[in-house]
Amino acid sequence: MTEIVTIQVGGFANFVGSHFWNIQDELLGLAADPYADPVFRNQNLNMDVLYRTGETPQGIVSYTPRLVSVDLQGSLGSMSSRGTLYNETSPGPSYVTTWAGNISTHASGPHRKNLFLESLYEEERESLTVMNGINGRENNSRREIHDEDKVESLENGVQFWTDFSKVHYHPQSLYELSGLWTDVQEFDNYGIGKDAFSGGRGEEMSERLRFFAEECDYMQGFQFFVDDSGGFSAVAADFLESIADEYTKTPVLLYAVRGPVSHTNLRSQKQTVFRDIHDAVSFSRLSSFCKLIVPVGLPLLSRSKAATFLSVKDEEPYHCSAVYAASLHAITLPFRLEHLGPTADSCNISGSMDVSGVVQMLTGQARQNMVSILDVAMPAPPLTGKQVEQTLLRNLQPLTPDITEDVEDLQAVESISVQGSFGSPGHRASVSEVNDMVEAAYENATSRPKFCHLSVSQCPLPIPLPFPSIFGSHVGQHGELLDSPIISSRSRGSLDVHSIPMAARLRSSSAVLPFLENRLVKLRRYGIERGASGAQLLSSWGFGQDELQDMGESLSKMVSALDPHSHTSSDSD
Amino acid sequence: MLRVLNPNAEVLNKSAALHMNINAAKGLQDVLKTNLGPKGTIKMLVGGAGDIKLTKDGNTLLKEMQIQNPTAIMIARTAVAQDDISGDGTTSTVIFIGELMKQSERYIDEGMHPRVLVDGFEIAKRATLQFLEKFKTPVVMGDEPDKEILKMVARTTLRTKLYEALADQLTDIVTNAVLCIRKPEEAIDLFMVEIMHMRHKFDVDTRLVEGLVLDHGSRHPDMKRRAENCHILTCNVSLEYDKSEINAGFFYSNAEQREAMIAAERRQVDERVQKIIDLKNKVCSGKDNNFVVINQKGIDPPSLDLLARAGIIALRRAKRRNMERLILACGGEAVNSVDDLTPDCLGWAGLVYEHVLGEEKYTFVENVRNPHSCTILIKGPNDHTIAQIKDAVRDGLRAVKNTIEDESVVLGAGAFEVAARQHLINEVKKTVEGRAQLGVVAFADALLVVPKTLAENSGLDKQDVIIALTGEHDRGNVVGLSQHTGEPIDPQMEGIFDNYSVKRQILNSGPVIASQLLLVDEVIRAGRNMRKPT
Repeated sequence: MTEIVTIQVGGFANFVGSHFWNIQDELLGLAADPYADPVFRNQNLNMDVLYRTGETPQGIVSYTPRLVSVDLQGSLGSMSSRGTLYNETSPGPSYVTTWAGNISTHASGPHRKNLFLESLYEEERESLTVMNGINGRENNSRREIHDEDKVESLENGVQFWTDFSKVHYHPQSLYELSGLWTDVQEFDNYGIGKDAFSGGRGEEMSERLRFFAEECDYMQGFQFFVDDSGGFSAVAADFLESIADEYTKTPVLLYAVRGPVSHTNLRSQKQTVFRDIHDAVSFSRLSSFCKLIVPVGLPLLSRSKAATFLSVKDEEPYHCSAVYAASLHAITLPFRLEHLGPTADSCNISGSMDVSGVVQMLTGQARQNMVSILDVAMPAPPLTGKQVEQTLLRNLQPLTPDITEDVEDLQAVESISVQGSFGSPGHRASVSEVNDMVEAAYENATSRPKFCHLSVSQCPLPIPLPFPSIFGSHVGQHGELLDSPIISSRSRGSLDVHSIPMAARLRSSSAVLPFLENRLVKLRRYGIERGASGAQLLSSWGFGQDELQDMGESLSKMVSALDPHSHTSSDSD
Repeated sequence: MLRVLNPNAEVLNKSAALHMNINAAKGLQDVLKTNLGPKGTIKMLVGGAGDIKLTKDGNTLLKEMQIQNPTAIMIARTAVAQDDISGDGTTSTVIFIGELMKQSERYIDEGMHPRVLVDGFEIAKRATLQFLEKFKTPVVMGDEPDKEILKMVARTTLRTKLYEALADQLTDIVTNAVLCIRKPEEAIDLFMVEIMHMRHKFDVDTRLVEGLVLDHGSRHPDMKRRAENCHILTCNVSLEYDKSEINAGFFYSNAEQREAMIAAERRQVDERVQKIIDLKNKVCSGKDNNFVVINQKGIDPPSLDLLARAGIIALRRAKRRNMERLILACGGEAVNSVDDLTPDCLGWAGLVYEHVLGEEKYTFVENVRNPHSCTILIKGPNDHTIAQIKDAVRDGLRAVKNTIEDESVVLGAGAFEVAARQHLINEVKKTVEGRAQLGVVAFADALLVVPKTLAENSGLDKQDVIIALTGEHDRGNVVGLSQHTGEPIDPQMEGIFDNYSVKRQILNSGPVIASQLLLVDEVIRAGRNMRKPT
C-alpha cells in the first residue's frame, strides 16, 4: 500500500476537491453495487491509496478521505467542520457544564440545506431507523424528492462547495482559518494571506496533516490543490515550506487551480498590475516548495477547445470545478491502479506508476522543467474509425493557461491516462487496443514527444448525481460522441449521461514558455527593475530586493531550461 | 506608489466620523461587558451548521465574531494584541476604550475639541502608570517562588472563566505546571507545557501529567502496550527507505540493476535500525529495562518489524515540539543521526503505556525524574467544553508566568481602578492647568468602568457600589468589590490578585486607541461586503 495524503487550500481548490471526492465516492458505491456495470465492479483501483479506515466514537467502521482541507471561516455552509460521520450525541445545546452563572446564546441563522443535501440526510436517517429495527414507513410523511429537483436545485444555487458534496469527511479534515471570515474582507492577493499561516493556524494545519501522515506505512506523496488566485497562495506556500521541512523526501504534486471568476473583474490599470504582481510572486513561491506544479484553470473555459463537447457556465464555480476535477481524477489514476505482478495478466488496466515516478519522468529527464501542462479530452473520442489517431491527440486540449499551441518540442515528455474509452461502438476498448492505438497515434503525429507513458483503465468516469449539467448535445448516455445531436431544451447532466470515457495528459513541454516568461517579465518590470512601480507593494508583502532577485533568478532558470536562447532569461539588457 | 483605494468606500466627514467611532466603541463594549468577572455571563455561539463554541473570554469572543465595522475591527485588534502580549485583559481593554469614548462624548457634545481631551488622557495615563508602580504588591521570586501568591493570581483569572470547583482544581494544575517547566535564570517557555485533550464524561478528571502524553501509539502489533523502566531515545532520523530516489525505472538498464539498488538502499535503513538495536542491547542486557524510540520522522513496516523483534517500542512522526519536550521531561538528547549513539543520549521514564479511545491512541510517558516539561491532560464530554477549558488553562498558565516575571501583583476586584481614580481626581487634577483637566477627569471616570461592570454583572446597583468604594478609599482603606454581598472587601484577605503586566498593558494601549479614534479626520468606510455573491 502506498498512501497519498491530499491537501486542498482555498475556495476554488475545495470546489475542485469536492467534485474529486464525489467521483471517488461514486466509484466506491458502484464497486459495491451488484447491479452496476461490471466495468465498475472490477476497477482494479486501490482506493486505500486515498482513503483511510477508521472508527467512529460509536464504534462504527469509517472509510474517509485522507484529506486536509483549508478554507475561510464560514465557507462550509451547512456542513459542520467536524464532518458528518463522527457526530457526537450531545445532550442538547443548552447544557453547559463549565459555568454556574448566566448563559447567553447567540445563534446565527442556520444554513438551509438544499434539496440535494436534504435528501442525503433523509436517506441516512432512514437507514439508521432500519438498522435500529424500527419500521420507518409508518411515519413516512416526508415528501419524495425527485432526482430532477435535486439536480435543478444544484444548478440554480450552489454557494458553498459543501452544497453538492455527498462525501463523509473525517473530523480532522476540514479546517477553517480561525478569525478569517469569508465575505467580511477580501482575501484576494498574496499580501493579505501572508500572515494567515502564523499565529497557531499553521501549527493546527500541520498537526492535522501529521494525523493522516502518521498512519501511513509507505506514503508515496502529497497531492496538493491550491486556489492560487488570492491570499491562499501565501497560506499554501507557507504550508508547503513546512511540509518540505518535515517530510523531506516525500514528493509534493501541486495543482494550482483557478476559477474563471478570478481572471475577470479587473477594473483598472492598477488592478491589472496588482494582479500581475500577485501572479508572479505566487507562482515563484509555490513552485519553490514542490516537485511538480501543474497550473490549471482557463480564463474562458466555456469557449476553450477543451470544452468543445461541453456547455459550461464560466461564472459558476460549480461548473468549472467539475471539469477540472474530472481531469485531475483521470491524471491521478496511475497512482492507484493496482500493481500487477509480471505474470498477472489483466485485461482491465495497465501503466500503474507512483507519484515520484511521474514526477521523475516529467521533471527529471534531459532538462529540468517542473511545470507541466494539463490536457484533457472530455469525453475521450472512440478509438475506431478513420483517422482515429489524430482524433485522440487533437481532442486533448489544454486546461493550463498562457501556453503556445502547436509547438514542436523534441524534448517533450508526456504521461497520458486513458480511462473507459470505446473501441467499436458500445464496446470498451481493451487495454492492448488502447496501447496500440495510442502508439499508432504518435507514430503518425507530426511532432512526437521524446518519451510518453501511458496508463489505461477500462473503467470510465462515473457521473455522480451532484454533477453539473455541462454536457453538450453530442454526448450520449455513456459518454459516446453522437453523430447527430440530441434535441433537448435543457443542458444534459447526471441524469442523462451516466459515465464518460476520459483521456488526460500531463505534458512537460516548451509550450509552457509564455506562462513562465510572462511571470518573469512582470516580476522584473514591477518588482526588480530600478524604480519598479510595485516595489513598495512587494515590500509591504514582506519581500525584500534580495528575495525578489532570487525569485527572478529561479524563474529565469526555468525559462532557460526550456529555451536556452531565450532573451527574457538573460539579465543583460 | 501603488495604493489601491476601494472606489466603493464612502468617505465620511469629521463629525460624523467621530460619532461613528464613538458608537462603534460603545457597541463593542456592550457586547463584551457582560463577560467580565466571576459573575459574568458565558456566551454560547452557535454557527450556521450547528457548531457550538462556548466562551467567557473576550479574546475568543472577538475572534469568533464577524466584525465588519472598521473602528470595531481596530479596537478588536488592539484587544487581541493585548492578549497575545500578556495573555489576558481583552475584555477590560475593550470596555476601557469604550468608556473613554463614552466619557469623551459628553464633553465633545458640549463643544470641546477632542485634542484637549487627548492631552488630558496623556497626562492621566502617565500619572496612572506611575501610581501603578507605587500601588503594586511586590513579590519576591527567588529559587522557590511563593506558591500561594501564584495560586491566588491563577485562581482569580480561572474563576472568571470556569465554575468554582473546576477553577480551583485547575489552579493547582497550572501553578504546578509552570513551576515544573521553570528553570532559574531562564525565560519561561509555556510551550513546554503540552496541552492534550481526551473525550471523557467528567471535566473534573482533568489532570497534570508529569511527563508527556503523545497523541499516537506504536504501529506494530507485537510491541508492548505497557512497559516499565524505560530508556527513551528521542530522534529525528528517517527509518524508511526513500523510494523516490530509485523508483523511477527508466534510469536502470535492467531489472537486476534496479533490484540491486533497492536492496542497497534497504540495507542502509536496516543498518540504521541495527545501531538502535545495538544500543538497546548495550543498556538493557541482563536488566529488567525497556527501550522506547520516539522518532520525528517516519518508520516503515520492515523497520518496525526489526525493532519489535528486538523488544523495542517505537513511535513515528512525533510532533516537532515534542522532541524538545521529551528531552526536558526525560533527559538525554535529541539525535539527528544514529551514527554516534551513546547511552548518554537516552532519557528515562519509569512508565510508558498506551491508552486507546476509539480510533485515537495516546501514549503516556510518565514517572520521569526531575521533569522540566509536563502535560495538562484536559478531559471533557464534548469538543466545545474541551475547547473552553483549554482556553482557560492557557490564561491560567499565562497568569502564573506573568506573576513570576513581573515579580509583583496588583490588588484585584476593582481596588486598583478605584484607587487610581481617586488619585487622579484628588491629586493629579489640580496639578493640570486649563481644560486638559477635563481630559484627566474623563480618564479617571473611565477607570471606574471595571468596578461598575463587576457590580452590574452581579446584579448590584453600580452607583451605590461606587459611592461605597470611593468612600472607603478616601478614608485610606484599599478595598475592592465583593461579588457576593456588594460590600467593600479587602482583596488581599480574599486572595484576589491581578497581573501587573496585564494592568499596565491595558493602561498603555487603551488611551492610545481612544486618542486615535477621537482625532480622526475622516473615515474610509470599507471592509464591508463589497463582493457580490457569485
